Amino acid sequence: MRILLVEDDPLVSDAIVRGLATAGYVVDAVGDAESVQGRLDTTHYDLAIVDLGLPGEDGFTLVRRLRREGSSLPLLIVTARDGLDDRVNALDLGADDYLVKPFALPELAARCRALIRRATAATANEMVVGRLRIDLAGRRAIDDTGRVLELTRREWSILECLAHHSGRVVSKERLIQAIVSWDEEISGNAIEVHVSRLRAKLGDAATVRGIRGLGYRLDDA
Amino acid sequence: MTESPKLKRAPSIRGRLFGYLLLPLAALMSLAFWADHRTFVTPMYDTFDRALSRAAIAIAAQVHQGNDGQLYVEGAAPGTLHMHLPGAHLPPPPLPDGDITERHDSSLRFEPDNRPLSWMRLYPGARETLLYRVSLPDGHTIAGDDGLPIATGHEADNLAYGNATYKDVPLRVVTYHAAIGDTPVVVTVGENVHHRDIVVRRLDSIIGVSDGIQLLLVLVLTLFGITVALRPINKLREQIAKQEPQSLQPLMLEPVPGEVRPLVESLNTMLMTVRDATLAQQHFITNAAHQLRTPLTGLKAQLEVLAGETQDAAQQERITRLQGSVDRLAHTANQLLALARAEPSAHSPGDFVSIQIDALVGAVIGSMLDRALARGIDLGAECEPLQVHGVYWLLHELLINLLDNAIRHTPDGGNITIRCGRQNGTPYLEVEDSGPGIAPAERERVRERFYRAAGSDGQSSGLGLAIVEEIARSHRAHFKILDALEGTGARMRIEFPSHG
Repeated sequence: MRILLVEDDPLVSDAIVRGLATAGYVVDAVGDAESVQGRLDTTHYDLAIVDLGLPGEDGFTLVRRLRREGSSLPLLIVTARDGLDDRVNALDLGADDYLVKPFALPELAARCRALIRRATAATANEMVVGRLRIDLAGRRAIDDTGRVLELTRREWSILECLAHHSGRVVSKERLIQAIVSWDEEISGNAIEVHVSRLRAKLGDAATVRGIRGLGYRLDDA
Repeated sequence: MTESPKLKRAPSIRGRLFGYLLLPLAALMSLAFWADHRTFVTPMYDTFDRALSRAAIAIAAQVHQGNDGQLYVEGAAPGTLHMHLPGAHLPPPPLPDGDITERHDSSLRFEPDNRPLSWMRLYPGARETLLYRVSLPDGHTIAGDDGLPIATGHEADNLAYGNATYKDVPLRVVTYHAAIGDTPVVVTVGENVHHRDIVVRRLDSIIGVSDGIQLLLVLVLTLFGITVALRPINKLREQIAKQEPQSLQPLMLEPVPGEVRPLVESLNTMLMTVRDATLAQQHFITNAAHQLRTPLTGLKAQLEVLAGETQDAAQQERITRLQGSVDRLAHTANQLLALARAEPSAHSPGDFVSIQIDALVGAVIGSMLDRALARGIDLGAECEPLQVHGVYWLLHELLINLLDNAIRHTPDGGNITIRCGRQNGTPYLEVEDSGPGIAPAERERVRERFYRAAGSDGQSSGLGLAIVEEIARSHRAHFKILDALEGTGARMRIEFPSHG
């Protein structure tokens, strides 16, 4: 997995390169938006991390330009500004996620992983969560021993929905929408039953965490 | 909303205009009344005097000289005071006028028996009754009332006028010097002055009433005029009232009259100054955020990398302590920025939108979940759908700070619950923890900036609850610190204004 980092502060840039390297990513760092195109022309990247406060062309302009040129490269914005306008702008312009400085490296790594996972799911029809490989085309989940989990249709739909938003809380209502067709009715309690069965089948390959009053979150372990 | 203290108020413009007009108008009216009075009184008295003098001349015409050289008044029995003018039968007349009867003392009432005054009429049916005296220049009375005072001083046409009081009756007397043959004769006629006074009083009251009505009409018209004239000021007031409290939009100059325009212009200048200052402050905060956070990010990330690369346990320990300090520095920087942005001048009314609080709770819990899970804290929500009017990132900051505070004070394995909804119609948002709680005596002090309760963990900046307080205030919400519903913990509650 290769990541392009656009960050002008050498201290931050250096730390991110090293930090993500330990998480298994190869990171190429550039200091300004003008150098980005040359890199993209010669190298395939799975993700770009863009600082908004760049000298010269700023992060907003870069994101807008990349999207206008039709690039589908996943973009993660890092910004020191956390006013609502900045967030809305960045996401409206086509960034996939944002992270406010100062952040912890593990959090950055988790965001990168989630974005790359989503992008991969769209192209390769496959996602990896924890020690679980989720084959979206074949509608099956395989653990690290190669065993295919025996899931009902509803358990699969719940796992698929949670995997698409892994690391984030998914509300019960959303899970209900994911598993029922419009002529069916299902209660919150029924969801709990399905989730507890799914948990048992997942074992320790991945964790479905219940968040009181909010929903569920799929974690790596 | 707090009741504003009673202000010492200058009188309203309407009141001042009215007051400044009322007094001069009243004075002017009094003057006009006096002038009118003077204008009619003199000619009227002249008229009365002329009528009286005609009576004197008429009586003089009745005085004849007999063959014996004696003077006698035709129609009057010689030697008596009883007088008969042609056609003027003279029983003692009733009082000259009903009005006089009412006003005169009883002493002035005509008594037929002792006849102190012999009133006569010049001709039958005449309204006026008179006293008369025909005398010689030496004072010898030939006919009439021999005590009637004679006016002295000659004037044109041998007529002299004067005022006198005779037998307690105030009189106007006219004395006519005539000559019958070659004998000079003095004819004096007196009239009760009340006759003319009554007329003057009547005219005065008519003028007074009409002047009063005029004044009243002028005042009503003035009041109406003032109200109409002040309408642009009312419009201006409405325009200002319609603006959101923090809106710094300049006021429109278009419908404003010339007199008020300078006021509006200065107001606009002031608004622009405040707006520039606000923009400058927002700009400053953005820059400060960038300048503080970027090096902190570098420092933090470098330390993390270093921690991963170091095998030496002693160095690991140092790095961990450094990381703690950097985290605390980062936290304080964030809190200071949050506090600066919570100031009312740092956001504009356009930032106030309708916010789904339950969705905000979900987002905040999502971002803080890992910290809670790392400590084994059961973090959850009990939310009903709730919308309030507010600034999204301020309420986000508020909830982050409440939750951060709760996580700090909750022991490992404890519980934190965020609730939102409406209670008795009041929208509320609250965070309850299972920590040690806050003693009632401390509940005010913990809201102060940089206040750190005894036994706090050293990571706290002492700004969290001050930020909550500031943000709550900017949303006109109340920040209450209560006891947990169960157990020992604290319950931090934000109550929003119920109109939303």
